[in-house]
Amino acid sequence: MMRALNSIQQRLGISLIAVLIVAGLLLAQMSLWLFDQGLRRYLENHLQDEAELLVAALARGANGIELDQQHISASYHRPFSGHYFAIHLGEQQWRSRSSWDFNMPAPAQPGLIEHLVDGPQAQQLLVVRADYRRFGKNIFIVVAQDYTPMLDSFRRVQWIGGGFGLGTLMLLVLLQRYLVARALQPLEQMRAQIAQLQQGQRTTLDAQVPQELAPLVEQINHLLQHTEDTLTRSRNALGNLGHALKTPLAILFSLANRPELNAHQELRDNLRNQLSQMQERISRELGRARLAGEALPGAYFDCAKELPDLCSTLQQVHRRDLQLEWHADAGLRLPWDREDILELLGNLLDNACKWAQQKIMLRMELEQSHYRITIDDDGPGIAPELRAQVLTRGARLDEQMQGHGLGLGIARDILEHCRGELILETSPLGGLRIMILLPARRS
Amino acid sequence: MRLLIVEDNVALADELTADLQRAGYAIDWLADGRDALYQGASEPYDLILLDLGLPGKSGLEILREWRATGMNCPVLILTARDHWAERIDGLKAGADDYLTKPFHPEELQLRIQALLRRTHGQVNQPQLDVGGLQLDEAQQTVINAGEAIELTAAEFSLLRYFMLHSGKIVSKSQLNEHLYDGETERDSNVIEVHVNHLRSKLGKAAIETKRGQGYRFIGVSHS
Repeated sequence: MMRALNSIQQRLGISLIAVLIVAGLLLAQMSLWLFDQGLRRYLENHLQDEAELLVAALARGANGIELDQQHISASYHRPFSGHYFAIHLGEQQWRSRSSWDFNMPAPAQPGLIEHLVDGPQAQQLLVVRADYRRFGKNIFIVVAQDYTPMLDSFRRVQWIGGGFGLGTLMLLVLLQRYLVARALQPLEQMRAQIAQLQQGQRTTLDAQVPQELAPLVEQINHLLQHTEDTLTRSRNALGNLGHALKTPLAILFSLANRPELNAHQELRDNLRNQLSQMQERISRELGRARLAGEALPGAYFDCAKELPDLCSTLQQVHRRDLQLEWHADAGLRLPWDREDILELLGNLLDNACKWAQQKIMLRMELEQSHYRITIDDDGPGIAPELRAQVLTRGARLDEQMQGHGLGLGIARDILEHCRGELILETSPLGGLRIMILLPARRS
Repeated sequence: MRLLIVEDNVALADELTADLQRAGYAIDWLADGRDALYQGASEPYDLILLDLGLPGKSGLEILREWRATGMNCPVLILTARDHWAERIDGLKAGADDYLTKPFHPEELQLRIQALLRRTHGQVNQPQLDVGGLQLDEAQQTVINAGEAIELTAAEFSLLRYFMLHSGKIVSKSQLNEHLYDGETERDSNVIEVHVNHLRSKLGKAAIETKRGQGYRFIGVSHS
């Protein structure tokens, strides 16, 4: 669940960054290009004006047509100033002093040259040719201006813009993470609730969720309720079946006890024997069918609530001077059905009570990966070589160790459902120690 | 001892009644929960055998209502519900013992005997042992100084009642109420006859007559 959440988070993050980078770059580049084009158009007009001034500066003098230097802007005199011109009038030609030894290009067409022309001292020139007719002659003027300062400032703008864009992007990503985390908060809450459900700390999911999750939560709650209802119904049905089978059995036991049969002891023993087998089988199978196992994720067994009642019930059933003590970690809850655990503990403790001289000790604790339940008694115990036999399915030790057998059988059924294990050891109290390990479910 | 059986299965109730009557108990039988709720509280029963799945009213509800009104007659739950969760519920509701069906009739007898002994202050004794006499409830004989004395069914019931109420004054009407079921005609002369029979078997001093009040069981002395 955590991983899925991360992946939603990551997926959203990656797509956002990609979209932002592509859109940002396109936008920046487009605006830069548009600005560049606008600037060039503007400078073209400016250069056309310059050309017209230059034409106006041509005058008929003593030596024919001359260029009046007085009327020319000072920047044409300073070498490599970035402003250059060349006037072609038939054979005659004037060049600005600023161009020094640089040969101005002579474009074939009037107007702005599309590309920048390499000028002197690594300058990049914007070149415009303008054609005129004066003094009965064709004049064409080439005017150039250095464009490098503009290019430099463009580059500067690109750097600044890039840095600014990157900063914005990072800010957006952080903001997005925060927003997504906030938007996914209900999912995270649900994840936590499902974990609690599995640990038996709640029985339903909270229905106060955003609209998008409501159907999911509703469905899960419905399923939980449905499972619980089904379990209750089948338990009731099993209870009724048990009642329907056991009452006639009780009658049969009573009939077998009739004084009329006193003369037929063998017949009576046979009847009783068969009836006992039926009884055992019915109890065992009905008991097994009743188990909830892991069907109910919200089920739990609250130690502090159930154990006192169970112990006082056992005391009342056995009516002996028994010291029945229990100890469980504070607030310990086992994530299994209450009736299953009661049945498990009831049967094992009942056995312990039968065999104990005086003391029975029950301990329940949570270790890292499992719940550990230990039941100690100070009775005769079971010899180590017999223990494996007691645990083997279908062991005929039932008769020899009356009570131990059946109780362990039911306990084994329950543990099978809960994926637990049962270990027999020698108790420090002197008798048998039954140790049960139940896996603590991971959230 | 007069017992009430609350059980809706007629065949089982018949068997139980016959069995327990053979064991010297006076038996009343009810099948409906609502009747049981009323009659269990109003008649002086010594013990009640209560089934849980009853028509009219469930056994647990009946038991809770009885206990809520301070009715303290011992109740033994007799049910097919054999799970620990149900057992706990039953005992929490105020039952004194819990026996699951099917059961061996001997087991039921032993539980009833133990419960009656316990109710009359004789805790943890395998046998009724009062006033120098041991009552063998299975054989319906009494053992006096190692010698078994045969008893008739009526004498056995009477002696058991006396032994359970040893040292207390027991009136004739009390004996009538507790030794006969609700349908038997009661005649205090019959009681007198049985008391005299017991005296002839155990010695005159075993049962004292308190004029105008009733009898008191003393027992025998072996010194």
